[in-house]
Amino acid sequence: MKVQGFFKDVGGASRVAKARLAAFENASPVPVTNDPIGDVARTWHPGKLDLVVTDVRPASKTTTTVRFERPDGQKLPPFYAGQFMVIDFPIGESLISRPYSISSAPYQARLDEHAFVEISVRRSKGDGFICDYINDHVKVGDAFRGMIGCGQFYYEPLRDAKHVVALAGGVGITPFASMAREVAHGTLDMDLTILFGSVTSDDIALKDELDQLKSDKLRIVHVLSGDEPDWQGERGFLTAELIRKYSAPDTTYFICGPQVMYKFLREELKKLDIPRRRVRFEVFGQAKDITAFEGYPQDVKDKTFNLTVVRGVHEDVIPAKATESLVVALERAGIRIETGCRSGECGFCRTKVLSGSVYICPEGDGRRAADKDFGYVHACAAYPTSDVKIKIPIE
Amino acid sequence: MKFYKDHYDVIVIGGALAGLSAALMLADKGKDVLVLERHNLPGGIATSFVRGGIEIEAALHEMMSIGSKDHRLKVGKFFDDMGVDIDWLKVPEAYHASLPGLEVTLHPGLETFAREVDAAVPGTYDKVLAVLNLCHTVFDSVNELSIHPASKPQMLLKHEAFVKTAGYSTQEVLDTFDLPQKALDLLAPYWIYVGTGFRELPFTIYSVLMADYVGYGSYIPHKFSHEMSLKMAERAEAMGVQIEYRQHVDKILVKDGKAYGVRTARGDEIHADYVISSAYPNSVYTHMIEPESEVPAKAIKMVNGRRLSLTAFSVILILDKSAEELGIKDYSVFRGNTMDTNACYEELKGLGPYRYITCICHNLANPDATPKGTCSYSITTLPRVDGWKTVSADDYDRVKHEVARQLIDYMSEYLGVNLLDHVLECVIETPMTIAHYTGMWNGCIYGYAHTMEDHIVARLQTADAEHFIDHLEFSGAHQISGDGMGPAVTNGRKAAKNVLDTMAKEGK
Repeated sequence: MKVQGFFKDVGGASRVAKARLAAFENASPVPVTNDPIGDVARTWHPGKLDLVVTDVRPASKTTTTVRFERPDGQKLPPFYAGQFMVIDFPIGESLISRPYSISSAPYQARLDEHAFVEISVRRSKGDGFICDYINDHVKVGDAFRGMIGCGQFYYEPLRDAKHVVALAGGVGITPFASMAREVAHGTLDMDLTILFGSVTSDDIALKDELDQLKSDKLRIVHVLSGDEPDWQGERGFLTAELIRKYSAPDTTYFICGPQVMYKFLREELKKLDIPRRRVRFEVFGQAKDITAFEGYPQDVKDKTFNLTVVRGVHEDVIPAKATESLVVALERAGIRIETGCRSGECGFCRTKVLSGSVYICPEGDGRRAADKDFGYVHACAAYPTSDVKIKIPIE
Repeated sequence: MKFYKDHYDVIVIGGALAGLSAALMLADKGKDVLVLERHNLPGGIATSFVRGGIEIEAALHEMMSIGSKDHRLKVGKFFDDMGVDIDWLKVPEAYHASLPGLEVTLHPGLETFAREVDAAVPGTYDKVLAVLNLCHTVFDSVNELSIHPASKPQMLLKHEAFVKTAGYSTQEVLDTFDLPQKALDLLAPYWIYVGTGFRELPFTIYSVLMADYVGYGSYIPHKFSHEMSLKMAERAEAMGVQIEYRQHVDKILVKDGKAYGVRTARGDEIHADYVISSAYPNSVYTHMIEPESEVPAKAIKMVNGRRLSLTAFSVILILDKSAEELGIKDYSVFRGNTMDTNACYEELKGLGPYRYITCICHNLANPDATPKGTCSYSITTLPRVDGWKTVSADDYDRVKHEVARQLIDYMSEYLGVNLLDHVLECVIETPMTIAHYTGMWNGCIYGYAHTMEDHIVARLQTADAEHFIDHLEFSGAHQISGDGMGPAVTNGRKAAKNVLDTMAKEGK
């Protein structure tokens, strides 16, 4: 073939090389350091940030709201209403992480002055020592590190119906508090009805703060399960009948609350024949009792195993109880591991099991198929059933 | 606590396809290699994620240079040689082109493809086949010359077609075939995989693209691209490579013009004889070299003299019906309001509307990609970084949703189905998402734009003059073979080869 003539054709390769060198020769010698696309990514996802507590106040008889700001007064990262933040708590020699839904609104994290995020944490009934630590010990001026804007539990306009019914149980109100504030502020366009189940009227988390936001776009319906003769509002549990009463023809349901409520609501929602894409559960949380799950090997439940932890060329051997996740064993031993949802879903704590066996919590197993083939687990949802050797990232 | 050895032969920055390919090749030659990857899993954008219990492919549409089991192409052969055993699924068609006045599905195989173009635009078989054959001849030469460089007279004797077309753009060469516009349109859709309009795109690049994809078809790993990335990483570790995740490299340490190690964000200083960087030269020369005084002025001019190529924007939908129920017939669709690639390239400068897009329905090549009764549908445009550079953090979510909505509406119109009525999961990946997970400079995934002065023919000839710091090599889309997951592997191998050649020269 011939394009433009033999000599021009065969000279092509050297022509392009010359053009290349000329282009470099004529280029500016001044380094261009700006990476605005990377800057936006870093603004949204800066990783763990230094935070300082600027307010601690009661959100109910048993619930405390804690406000965090940046020590330098800068804005916090944007996030979606409904997402959680991960906070590192220095407890003794350990650094223990916990995810908490953000109860303040995204716009409040972007205020020009005193931008903040808040969490609201209920005192536990004895099984959540971090919850109690927050309620008893955290005070203004305390410093923590936290990662803001994690998780998939938020309104997505390209997926969800315009009318949203939020089913909240107890302190499960927090992601919806964030949504409610953002709706009231006019920066989240949806119609939100919150069916908020509590036990008694004097222990409704964030009641006053939320009730004053009510509008034609935001309804809050309190539902009490406790025995209170004077209560004028809805009573009982969040039943199919009650849910139907507050639903529009096309409604997306968001559910957040204690694990027992998830079990109850799964059955109730079945009665309503709702399309799968219209139901969204927040992550399950750490299993309260792993031995109660199907397939858990009961014969190991009282045992403590040796967990060999490989980080780079370094190895440690630590004890690991059969009933506690690998993450808990690591945290008890003061070995840092990055965690997110602590429910098996997000994969922040992706870990390779080099040898030994583990039981994987079947609730919310978010592992990739190829990861399963090669022994990768999400350490927050993996429980040792023998001596185990794992490799984790160096933190 | 000591997490690293005192010394490595080679440190590879980045555990994506290029970095892992380099690591595999070096380990195969007995070298002691450390790979530092910023994310908590390998692969970069060649990965997957799980939403609502469903695994979703993050980026890979189709892998070139794999070939069938009996006739492996170079990337497929490399995986075989390294013992990386991937369960490849063949993509059924080349593509369905949905263009003004054309709805045509084309299949791989040069004759098949030419016959199908002829069926749509009668009387074009011979000429289309001649174009494809020319592409194939150039492709063979490129593959041969990348392994065995030849002298000038030999080049002209054995690689005449390559030599004669090397100085011309795709448009200049295609014009000589005098094909009707519609046939030219059907030969153009793949352009987006190399990312410059035909006025600028070197014919050599077009040839490689067409000969590889059309000649041999494309493949995807059964368990998403994470299968490929993970198997590479697992194999590398089995061969003795140390891979550390969640390690962000801040600095490359240089003394007297020679790299000798890195420093991570966590503060570890790690030493090695060689460093291979998957980070862009832009990142490396503007803020990674320590001390700054070791950055040669020429390196800055080199990066300033180049144009960043494309980034990516994808909306990935998991739909609540099967592909069949929704009337989705093709694995891969290119849709455009024009097939003028120069005009398409112009449109990619902005923030939309984007009208030249590519869609993948994963289930049509991989039936168990999603649970029964659902399917995965991704809509992708590959914009230039220019427009996205203007988006602020506070405006980002609005822009992202507007573009996603436009793409969904555009394909709903094509399918005659409102996709919004079927969304089980919706994931939007933007240039910022890429920047977040991979740290790539300005979220760019295509490296530098393929132009006449910046493509494999030009790059190979001046490679030595662009080697500014000793014992520092680069691997990734920004290198000689350019963008794409197949070329990423080739770029990684090339970096490893450069290291091995220098080692041999220096008697190590």
